[in-house]
Amino acid sequence: MARYDGYYLRRALPGIAVLVVLFLIPLITTFSYAFHDGMRPLMEIFEDGYTYRLLSFTLTESLLSALLSVLAALPFAAYFSRYTFPGRKAVMTLSALAFTIPTILVVLGFVIWYGNNGLLNDFLMRLTGRDHSVIEVLYSFRAIILAHVYLNFPIAFLLITQAWEGLSDTTEHAAYTLGAGRIRTFFMVTLPRLRGSIAAAFILIFLFCFSSFSIILVLGGNPAYSTFETEIYRRVHISVDREGAAALSVFALCVSSLLLIITGPGMRRRKAERRQRELIKAKGGTLAAAYALVLLILLFLLPPMLSIIYRAFYTKEGAFTLKAWNDIAEGGTGFMSAASGAVIASFVIASAVSLLSVFLGARIAMASAKRGSVLLPLLSSMPMASGSVTLGLGFSFLSAMIPFKSPLISLLLVIAAHLVIVLPFSVRTITPGARAIPALLPDAAYTLGASKRRTRRKVEMPFLYPYMRKAFAFSFALSLGEVNATLTLSDGRISTIPVLIYRMIGSYNYQGAAALGTILLAEALIIFAIGECGGKKNGIS
Amino acid sequence: MAYLEIKNIEKKYGSFNLSLSLEAGEGEFLCIIGPSGSGKSTLLSLIAGLEEPDSGSIILDGRDITREKIQDRGIAMVFQDFTLFPSMNVQKNIEFGMKMREKTKRRNLAANLLKLVGLEGYGKRSVTSLSGGEAQRVQLARALASEPGILLLDEPLSALDPPMRKNIRNAIRAIHDSLGITMLYVTHDREEAFSISDSIVIMNEGRIAARGSAEELYRHPSDLFTAFFTGEGTAIPAHLVFENMEGSVFFRPEEATISEDELDPSLYTMHVIFSGCEVVSCEFTGAGYMLGLNYKGYPLLCQSATKPRRKTVSLMILRESLRNLI
Repeated sequence: MARYDGYYLRRALPGIAVLVVLFLIPLITTFSYAFHDGMRPLMEIFEDGYTYRLLSFTLTESLLSALLSVLAALPFAAYFSRYTFPGRKAVMTLSALAFTIPTILVVLGFVIWYGNNGLLNDFLMRLTGRDHSVIEVLYSFRAIILAHVYLNFPIAFLLITQAWEGLSDTTEHAAYTLGAGRIRTFFMVTLPRLRGSIAAAFILIFLFCFSSFSIILVLGGNPAYSTFETEIYRRVHISVDREGAAALSVFALCVSSLLLIITGPGMRRRKAERRQRELIKAKGGTLAAAYALVLLILLFLLPPMLSIIYRAFYTKEGAFTLKAWNDIAEGGTGFMSAASGAVIASFVIASAVSLLSVFLGARIAMASAKRGSVLLPLLSSMPMASGSVTLGLGFSFLSAMIPFKSPLISLLLVIAAHLVIVLPFSVRTITPGARAIPALLPDAAYTLGASKRRTRRKVEMPFLYPYMRKAFAFSFALSLGEVNATLTLSDGRISTIPVLIYRMIGSYNYQGAAALGTILLAEALIIFAIGECGGKKNGIS
Repeated sequence: MAYLEIKNIEKKYGSFNLSLSLEAGEGEFLCIIGPSGSGKSTLLSLIAGLEEPDSGSIILDGRDITREKIQDRGIAMVFQDFTLFPSMNVQKNIEFGMKMREKTKRRNLAANLLKLVGLEGYGKRSVTSLSGGEAQRVQLARALASEPGILLLDEPLSALDPPMRKNIRNAIRAIHDSLGITMLYVTHDREEAFSISDSIVIMNEGRIAARGSAEELYRHPSDLFTAFFTGEGTAIPAHLVFENMEGSVFFRPEEATISEDELDPSLYTMHVIFSGCEVVSCEFTGAGYMLGLNYKGYPLLCQSATKPRRKTVSLMILRESLRNLI
């Protein structure tokens, strides 16, 4: 009796209220612009051929990026899920970083490494003796796809490797005993078993790229390459067409909701098999091949990031300098004058957002796990469907309605925007922990006379702690790297590190951007370490 | 007055309907057995407060606890599954439900309880490192530590290996006898129930089919369900044996005697004789043989010390051993 008296639901109410208020109010504001004047803005968007060109470009780049990421990942996954060798784990961990690395760092790393005057071209020019850039990748469709693959290849690689590792070999062995060769077995037996995981990785990457923003904006370098997100941003900040932006974001919301509904079934997690695959120790030729693959991964992943650090300390000509660092510390000119403020603001925002999102997210996760409710997960995934730029747009409309301006209000608006973007991820990260609590455990505590409160704190919460730590790290990283909403909402009063980096790239201050990028990278690495290690020893399975 | 009194309790789930009244005396060891789905675990959940009855009342030690919160009922429960709290070590688990505040007292009680369940020195162990049997012993100690008015045990041994079961079964009985605590023990294993309890309640389809000591239930079952649930036996239509009798007659395998020769009924006036039984199967049971016979198309089960050499035998049973059951 009274086992389900709404205790957990009541505790989740603040989080639900935050979701509803922070999601619905900006959205309604946006809708009111879009439906202004008898739906005229919306009708125009639906009738405009350009809208469908946007749609087709967004779909094309997302599908292509996802396809290439997955295809590139497959051979690597095949090796990594079969053999074990020293350094294998390190490469897997490095790949997991992709979930944490802010996109803006990829943009910056690409500009510095792959740029026409970038480090790679420097190196190749010296090697070939030419006096003009050897490879011209940047500011093109290819650059967008390459950056997306850079960001998502590790994700595909990691997800598929983990899934493949979890498939025991017995079925394949059975196929061999029935006379099937290796190739036939792979296509007839292994691939069908992997299909679900491959599809899940594909969909995840597709959705990432669908809402890609800073990569398109900077690396595309041409308004011809516009996605919904970048176009909404351009309309607000460049052509100052609020109604058009609002109408477009309503259209985009419809499309992405549709996509989420279509792809939803493909994202469902499969139950792990009881027996894991036994990894074979790589020797001789296999080991050499393994290291060749490792080298390929490292050569692809590391240079852009390392070049950020290099460029933070060296000028274009290769002379050592601490100018950028001095500027950050003492306040330089132009964008650099805002650098130290941005570093602090980013940290404050990310801390507030991650703490709040874990605090509220744990309560929502608990309530939804207890009730087995469908409504809560749906509610908490709504902000995912709407896209960050749309939310940023809503918040910027909202801020325009607030009569008085102050840095504090701007800061609070950024925190609110980040929170509503991050909270769904936090809930998703913590929910498996809440579901892992055996139903009988609280019952056992109640029969021993423990109150609901004591049972929750002593018995149930410990199951959530490892997941909450992960959610904290993930939320912190997401907020730290958030550009889409922050830039759209930005009124110039509050700058975060990624926004400042974006602006500095625009004004060719690569050194300053690299110094800030190095700080961002360091913070991301620390937060990644917090999320990955520690607490594993008392992990509850 | 009974210590635990369950009056006209009802609980409905779909087509399942639990409806019963039950009493247990203070310090009694009462076993509840029945096939799966008979409602025995539901009954425990109702007493514990994990489920709410549709109607009826539950009175424990003179106090109506039907609508009480789980926490205030003064019950403790040992579950079949692992319900130890993984975030705490063995000692913290045991201390979890203790009422006393003082630290040394808590520690001493925990140590004593561990000794009682045969796990002396296990206090600092992590509960995830325990074997199934050890975990059940810790569950038992933890339940006792909360000083319950009644201890409910819901198939506590079902997940364990048979030798381990016997071992812990004896420990539970010994603890009952030394503490004098009232225990309600649910199991589906009749051997377990026979060996451990003072009194047994047999449940079937949400109702109480019979209640009594193991001996009473085995020797004088009140209906066919109880007869078959408490042991092996044969039931054949009564009219085959006695004219004008309705229902079935039932007997246990050990109550029948076989003979390889023809028997003259006039010499055995106290007996009923089934002649011309075909031997269908013969299983060696250690102590003897369990014979499956065919009498006019009806299967009969009979115990025999020797292995019959003939294909056809006769069977005789004392008239008074034949029970007319429905």
